[in-house]
Amino acid sequence: MSTKQGRMGWLFASPYLLYGIVFFLIPLVWSLFLSVTDWNLIAPTFSFVGIENYVEAVKSPGVQSAFFVTFKFMAVFVPLVVASSIIVALIVQGLPRFKGIFLIGFFLPYLASGVVSSLIVKGLLSYNSPVNEFLRNSLGLDIDWLGTPFGALFVVAMIIAWKFTGYYALILTSGFESINKEVYEAATIDGVTKWQRFWKITFPLLYPALYTVLILSIGVTFGIFTEVYQLTGGGPNFATNTWQMEIFTRAFSNLQAGYASAIAIIASVVTFIAIFLIRKILETWGKRNGWD
Amino acid sequence: MVGTKKGTLWIRYLIAIALLLIMVFPYIYMVLNSFADWDQVDKKLIPSHFTLKSYEWLLGGGEAVIPRPWLSAFFNSFIVSAGSTFLMMVTAIMVAYALAKIPFKGRNTINNFILFQMFFPAIILLIPTFLVIQRIGMYDSYWGMILPKAMSLWAVFMYTNFFRAIPETFIEAAKLDGASDLQIMFKIVMPMSKSITTVIFLFLFMERWTELLWDMLVVKSDNMLTLNVLLSQMFGPYGGYPGPMYAASVLLTMPIIIIFLIFAKKFQEGMQFTLK
Repeated sequence: MSTKQGRMGWLFASPYLLYGIVFFLIPLVWSLFLSVTDWNLIAPTFSFVGIENYVEAVKSPGVQSAFFVTFKFMAVFVPLVVASSIIVALIVQGLPRFKGIFLIGFFLPYLASGVVSSLIVKGLLSYNSPVNEFLRNSLGLDIDWLGTPFGALFVVAMIIAWKFTGYYALILTSGFESINKEVYEAATIDGVTKWQRFWKITFPLLYPALYTVLILSIGVTFGIFTEVYQLTGGGPNFATNTWQMEIFTRAFSNLQAGYASAIAIIASVVTFIAIFLIRKILETWGKRNGWD
Repeated sequence: MVGTKKGTLWIRYLIAIALLLIMVFPYIYMVLNSFADWDQVDKKLIPSHFTLKSYEWLLGGGEAVIPRPWLSAFFNSFIVSAGSTFLMMVTAIMVAYALAKIPFKGRNTINNFILFQMFFPAIILLIPTFLVIQRIGMYDSYWGMILPKAMSLWAVFMYTNFFRAIPETFIEAAKLDGASDLQIMFKIVMPMSKSITTVIFLFLFMERWTELLWDMLVVKSDNMLTLNVLLSQMFGPYGGYPGPMYAASVLLTMPIIIIFLIFAKKFQEGMQFTLK
């Protein structure tokens, strides 16, 4: 290991060193510092308030809702996107030709800006839209999609599921392709039914790809912002108030920078622990069934 | 899967096409409505009368008191996305090359630090990053939008894994011929990484092009807004002009779809590697 190589190594790695200091370490320390002050983002002065921000945050409806809303999104979005991407992957998998073209087509929603998809959905669900006209006139249903707590949550979850389905289907397809065809042939000879074949053969062999999709989709639920900001503003009555939405509102609309920093730290801790636990559960579940 | 009967094959394709149409329907709806007669926007699934009025309104400044700078917003989006993506690619390639192919003291420490930062919830950084940008005088500038997104740890991670798989013999042979690290990187390593470069480039560019939160926070002047932010801000007040909103959505969505389709084949090849 020569000194010349040492110098080259540090030189090539220097962009990260610079970036890590300016956009990770400094903000991290700054954030911890802000969280124990009452600074309001503009004033030149502030005072230290100890853990008051944290105590107030834990008691506030905004933070409590953000905590539960994340898990509600997970409960709706993850099953939705996993099911839809499995369906897409299964259908594409059954095509002998043009698989690639179909996969590219299904991937297109991933390119949509959250602002654009929110705008389209807002149009599709407006009072006089073709969808609502149809529901009213043919089925007698008058649905206030974004006005009810579950409706708003469901619509946002649907938009995000729409965006990610094709991407996850791509991951699952490569999982399907890694399954050895001979396993199916052997199973067919043994007289295994289609249903058994899916649950006993396809599913376990697909588990590694499915694990990736589950982890990615769970990660998505902790970062929801654009669609909520655009469509509901976190409402009605905090029903779609995600962590990002709460922090954004507090810090940049209400200018409570100190208080919002405390919320951000709580959010990070909750996110870190939740994702860690979910990973552990999924891994243990996979191992116990011998799916790894 | 196995046991495909010829007779049922066309049903499979029919289902696949129907499903694909449902999935891309929001895009079709968007394009149709951007050309629809204004009294039909959001009223019909498929409009019967078409017009260019929405685009004329959008690009000509419309009936607004202040003509909205849609074209300059498009230009801003392009500068910010291209600049940011370019820097993310360059920094990722440099750092990953160091981590994978240059043995030096401290390499493992840097590698572990990157992994730690990658799994650290980024939400904690939003407010202080805003303050950093403000303090170094980059608020309301292109650099303010570009610099905090000048590096992607995900890209570093992907490239590091890929470079590690390149056999050491290639690099040693080049070194014996007297090639420098920079030459090895451009002449040997990069040409071998074309498909993964396409995948990383597309994901980074797509993500940057559709960013809302950061670009919205760090920019204040009307002429600095990116197209995505401008569209988001006009969302409410221009609710009465849905036609032009759809036209603006087309303006925002089409470039990214075109770029993606151009690279689609390479993208698929690269994904096959990435997903293994």
